[in-house]
Amino acid sequence: MKIRNLLAATTAATALAGAAFAAGHETMKIGITQNNVGVDSYQTTYEKAFIAAADANDAVETVVLDAGGDVARQIAQMEDLIQQEVDAIIIWPTNGEAVIPAVRKAYQAGIPVIVTNSNIAEPGFDFVKSFSGPDNITQGARSAEIMCDKFKDMGIENEAKVVHITGQPGYTTAIERAKGFNDRLPEVCPNVEQIDQQPGDWNREKSQKVMEAFLVKYDDIDGVYAGDDNMGVGALNAAKAAGREGIIFVGATNFAVGYEAMERGEYWGSIYQSPVDDAEAALQTAIDVLKGEEVPFLNYFDTPKITQDNMSEFTKPVF
Amino acid sequence: MKPGMLSNFLKRGAIWGFIALELIFFTVAGEYLSLSEKAFMDVDNMLLLFKQSAPIGIIAMGMTIIMINGNIDLSVGAIYAICAIVLLDSMTWPIFAGLGDMVIPVAWVLALLAGVALGALNGLIVWKTGVDAFIVTLGSMLGYRGLVFMYNGEQPTSHLNWTLVDFAEAQFLGLHTATWFLLIVTAAIWFLMNRTVHGRNAYAIGDNREAAVNAGIRVGPHMMINFMIIGFLAALSAVVFYSESGSVNPNDGELYELWVITAVVLGGTKLTGGAGSIISTFGGVLAIQLLRKGLAHIGADTETVNLVIGLILIVVLFLDRQLNIKGKEELKV
Repeated sequence: MKIRNLLAATTAATALAGAAFAAGHETMKIGITQNNVGVDSYQTTYEKAFIAAADANDAVETVVLDAGGDVARQIAQMEDLIQQEVDAIIIWPTNGEAVIPAVRKAYQAGIPVIVTNSNIAEPGFDFVKSFSGPDNITQGARSAEIMCDKFKDMGIENEAKVVHITGQPGYTTAIERAKGFNDRLPEVCPNVEQIDQQPGDWNREKSQKVMEAFLVKYDDIDGVYAGDDNMGVGALNAAKAAGREGIIFVGATNFAVGYEAMERGEYWGSIYQSPVDDAEAALQTAIDVLKGEEVPFLNYFDTPKITQDNMSEFTKPVF
Repeated sequence: MKPGMLSNFLKRGAIWGFIALELIFFTVAGEYLSLSEKAFMDVDNMLLLFKQSAPIGIIAMGMTIIMINGNIDLSVGAIYAICAIVLLDSMTWPIFAGLGDMVIPVAWVLALLAGVALGALNGLIVWKTGVDAFIVTLGSMLGYRGLVFMYNGEQPTSHLNWTLVDFAEAQFLGLHTATWFLLIVTAAIWFLMNRTVHGRNAYAIGDNREAAVNAGIRVGPHMMINFMIIGFLAALSAVVFYSESGSVNPNDGELYELWVITAVVLGGTKLTGGAGSIISTFGGVLAIQLLRKGLAHIGADTETVNLVIGLILIVVLFLDRQLNIKGKEELKV
């Protein structure tokens, strides 16, 4: 809402209400409750992109909220948005299951709900119009393929040992990516062994600490998979500080820091996922739903593989 | 006017004045800044305010006793998470499979017992070792959180029971289930602190522990009971909240201890113990939720909420200090 030119909106709303109704397109009020904006640059850029996209669209007014990672606060925000009678709610769930009853409340109040970025659990699907976001299982699988292909190039696909740093515990994206990776890696590289898996909470410092512990514990680490580049770079920093070379780092959600590390040749690959695409897709899905258009239930946007080999095809991420 | 009456009045009334200020500000600002056509003071919105205050509020009542005692409990967030897991997980245990929806009260009782037991453990250590409660509960905060992670790794523990959700979402006489629990707890703890020997002892111990011992108050068991009460209330808060949500993240309840302590301090309870009021804590809880709600209503950044609450907390403590200094000066002859 900081995005709205506030006074203009209120006066215009009163003055032009009649005209707007006559013209047949009242402004759409869309509320969004995000997971945890301050925690990383992806979510910060997402919020900026969402606000920019909403600003650029005269037919849309938005209420932008952030749950700060707290389920209780997110449920309260859902209740507030229902109480404010917005036309549609976009939710970035803090917990894919805990928010289901709150989503049901919106459904019962006749407000369409669009889930963004990471989906809610299946029992809630009945109460949701559409999910707009990346396919995280495919992303995890693609990261496994990137890592396996690199091991094959290096000729170590029969002996390589991998450690795995996951995102925030309980968070659907973290669980799905880990599952995609853990399921796919044995399929493409059956002899690669994953020797450990620990949460890095989407946090670079935490991930660095986790990696430091791995480096002490294991003399032989050939590959590191991190649930996103933020954590991947944290792990890379730990390896650099310990003077351990030749480790293949693969992440997901390519961040600028990951992209730069790839340019320097220290970091092998990632999954290119733009928060700008993510935010715009969510807003567009909400608008389409409100206009009564057909929207697929799982509205994925594509997230391609990026490695040192093909990175020139992609612009550097802004976050 | 008796000396100290004004400062007493200011101390007691400050939180309600602050709430009134918030209400006025958000009502006026909401007219201009909010997208919603509904007023901020809309009845439904105010009912939601009470409901949303419940998770922090219920624990804050227990924290008030603990802090009046001169202790502190940092482990409430972790106890909250453990009890949430017990609540949701026990409903899926095979031994209760035949109970149908009767499993719900069983799960509640188990969760509440878990809370009491964890609180008792804290209290017992404080009592028997004499180590400062801050240190003991700092340790148990980490330890209990470790238990949460051991239970189900980093996965959320989930069990969605729609009967339970419907109960938790119900409104009786217009108030939500969670609000009823908050009000009942507030009333019960108010009674405990103002109308019973236990309550008077709590103030006495917080004011001067040695004098309390000399007066024959059994300080150790007394504090252990208080830790059991706050454990029970942390569990009750989890029961009330997770009945409506059905899934607990292993990091849920993190930082709750700080929000709870903030609410209690905003309500005028002294960190050093000996003084504090349940009703003012209730005000502190409402003030925090009102601020969150109001800033969201007018569309301020969420980050500003923390900033504003932090600033207000410092102002409150500063005012408290100034007022107390004045009170002391008047004592000098």
